[in-house]
Amino acid sequence: MTRHFSIVTAALLAGAFPLQAQQAPAPQQETVTPEPVDDTADHNTSPDETSEGTGQTDAGQDAAPRPQPQVGADWPFWGGDAQATRYSPLDQITPENVSQLEEVFTFHTGDLPEGTAEGKYSPEVTPLKIGDDLLMCSAMNILISVNAETGEENWRFDPGVPNEAIPYGATCRGVSAYTDPSTTEGDACATRVIQATLDAKLVAVDMETGTPCEDFGENGTVDLWQDIGERVPGWYAVTAPPAIVRGIIVTGAQVKDGQAEDAPSGVVRGYDAVTGELAWAWDLAAPEQNRNGPPEGEVYTRGTPNMWTTAVADEELGYVYLPLGNSSVDYYGSNRSEVENEYATSLVALDATTGEEVWHFQTVRHDVWDYDLGSQATLLDYQGTAAVLLPSKQGDIYILDRETGEPLTPVGELTDLPKGEIEPDYISDTQPISEWHTLRKPALEEKDMWGFTPIDQLWCRIQYRRANYQGFFTPPSSDRPWIQYPGYNGGSDWGSVAVDTERGIIVANYNDVPNYNRLVPRDEVTSKAINRQTGEEKAGGGAEGAADPQEGSPYGISVNAGWRNTGTGVPCTRPPYGGIRAIDLETGETLWDRPLGTARRNGPFGIPSFLPFDIGTPNNGGSVVTASGLVFIAAATDNLFRAIDIETGETLWSTVLPAGGQANPITYEAGGRQYVMVTAMGHHFMETPVGDEVIAWALPED
Amino acid sequence: MSDLTAPPDHTERHETVWGVKLLGWISVLLGAVILAGGVWLILLGGSWYYGLAGLGLLVTGILLNRYMMEAAWTYLAVWIGTVAWAWWEVGADWWAQVPRLVAPTLILVLLLLCIPALSRHASKF
Repeated sequence: MTRHFSIVTAALLAGAFPLQAQQAPAPQQETVTPEPVDDTADHNTSPDETSEGTGQTDAGQDAAPRPQPQVGADWPFWGGDAQATRYSPLDQITPENVSQLEEVFTFHTGDLPEGTAEGKYSPEVTPLKIGDDLLMCSAMNILISVNAETGEENWRFDPGVPNEAIPYGATCRGVSAYTDPSTTEGDACATRVIQATLDAKLVAVDMETGTPCEDFGENGTVDLWQDIGERVPGWYAVTAPPAIVRGIIVTGAQVKDGQAEDAPSGVVRGYDAVTGELAWAWDLAAPEQNRNGPPEGEVYTRGTPNMWTTAVADEELGYVYLPLGNSSVDYYGSNRSEVENEYATSLVALDATTGEEVWHFQTVRHDVWDYDLGSQATLLDYQGTAAVLLPSKQGDIYILDRETGEPLTPVGELTDLPKGEIEPDYISDTQPISEWHTLRKPALEEKDMWGFTPIDQLWCRIQYRRANYQGFFTPPSSDRPWIQYPGYNGGSDWGSVAVDTERGIIVANYNDVPNYNRLVPRDEVTSKAINRQTGEEKAGGGAEGAADPQEGSPYGISVNAGWRNTGTGVPCTRPPYGGIRAIDLETGETLWDRPLGTARRNGPFGIPSFLPFDIGTPNNGGSVVTASGLVFIAAATDNLFRAIDIETGETLWSTVLPAGGQANPITYEAGGRQYVMVTAMGHHFMETPVGDEVIAWALPED
Repeated sequence: MSDLTAPPDHTERHETVWGVKLLGWISVLLGAVILAGGVWLILLGGSWYYGLAGLGLLVTGILLNRYMMEAAWTYLAVWIGTVAWAWWEVGADWWAQVPRLVAPTLILVLLLLCIPALSRHASKF
């Protein structure tokens, strides 16, 4: 779901910070001449996958790398800088004075769930800050510009997304911005804000006024449902900001999980950022045939692995890095094609100028656990090599050569894994693991079962003993439940990691929860795929996989996300359920690791205990690291926003949010003051209260 | 104790006796549930603790209903065994100890409050 985008804006305090200077450092002045085109051409052709007949379009005019805006006063990309490090060079707020932070303003988007949207909100938005403006989207894709210093609204544009378009949850993680180099400042849509919506539209509006860009698609909108097939509300939705590289907007889409094998295609497409025209399509099952769109009357290959999260782009190389999910359906694989098996749950590098694959790196073989890649990858320099850091839901962290995909850190192999009884010929008996660093914890034992009393602990022990569990990568089963640990929300999810490039520290928050699953034989399945539902029958906002039909496969799927005890709602496994860890970037060693989230809002039967102890709650949403050595993060289900000392892991400051803060925070400068900001809007899956607040803090003015 | 003459005392004793009865039945109920689940867990190849502790609690409950001081000694043995087992399983992991020790200790406290009443009965019969 998340992606990334790149923007070029005028007048970005060049040199405001020493970003990680890895691969050809991005020019810091907009007057800088781009890297020689020859150089990039080399990159484009050196990999083996190049083929004749490139689907190159007139995007070629944009093919040279552009100077990229810098993070500092601004927060120009969803991931902070173009490399998605979530590292800010700002240092006005320090470990010494952070306790003095005070709220400067709260902005209300006004977008709260109504009618059928009740219980389905999960906004997750992280604003951009460019110049004087904060640019964001609401849960239902209302684009909003807010004055970054005062919190006053500049403009809003509502693309009118209907409630029925909500897939699993109403999520818009953020927007992207793009400056057209052929314009001058003041031209309409010289800099445009671009988002893709839950009803699968790509929308571009002028950053100054919020007016749709007339030259982009049809009155500022491109229909992403083009060539996807049957238009089923909620089945094909975009929740992440697009990546923009070399003038090409790159976007995938979230394909609703668990519905049917005949799901919409996972095709990833590039669009001209000025005109909105299709530049290329990457249909992994028919890359050549469908590069410029499928033949008349056909659609992109259905059921293929999709990219719901955020991509990151390397403007110099012209590559975009796509974290892919697995094939539809998630928990059964015998009828997947070879090519789906090849790409599912892989990081794929595409040449964004042509849409051709450069390399791919697979993290799970024959994924039947929904271990899709949820995190945005981060670009960095690793021991002198331009690298890309990839965190996975299983908790593994890989560092790969950005040009070739070759691992730069050791990758090991699990062997002799159990193959199960459902599809033993399909289940892989080997899997890759990172031998450099993993957030994963040891396999569960009976004594890890929990509860609030001996009775619920006993019941969980009985469930544990009755289940099929053979450790990590236990294959699905149907005659009895199986334990999946880490669960699909385990390890690193869409919040991604932050990398302090100056100190050489990775900050990773993570979930540590299992799922308790069962494949449900077809004749016991009561739910219907989203395209078979009529009238009032709608898939609810419950946990993904709670009762999904998986039509076209022999089994539906029942997932108890977080493995919670029936009745009490208390997790069956002991705390902590989530943590945050600092990792030495050079060695992969853990510097500190601590539970993230207090027990104040957790308790049996959903009753808050108000206990201030660090129990370690599930958490979604990443962190920001600042040059002064602070880590800002909300994420946890305790609704606290906190500042942590990057050297020690100690919480130096925290404040209670009015709703769940399941969003990545940002930091920026306005009027000479450093602000930190997070959106508090809640999350249905995390069961945190819903809100519409965008809140900024700063030190008191003298 | 021979304070049968004082009405307030009499009332207090009456309530304490009912407290013993109540704790007795609670112990019987919880003990039966834990014993049943514990036997199931043993059959599944899991920990023997619950079967043994459930049995101990059931016996404690029966003895309480008979106002026998042996209830206290029985439960004390269960509780000490519980502490030892809990420490063996998870050591100083405070959160992991919550389901292991909180409820059993609460029962221990209630049981200790019953001891005066049990003593009275012990001396009476």
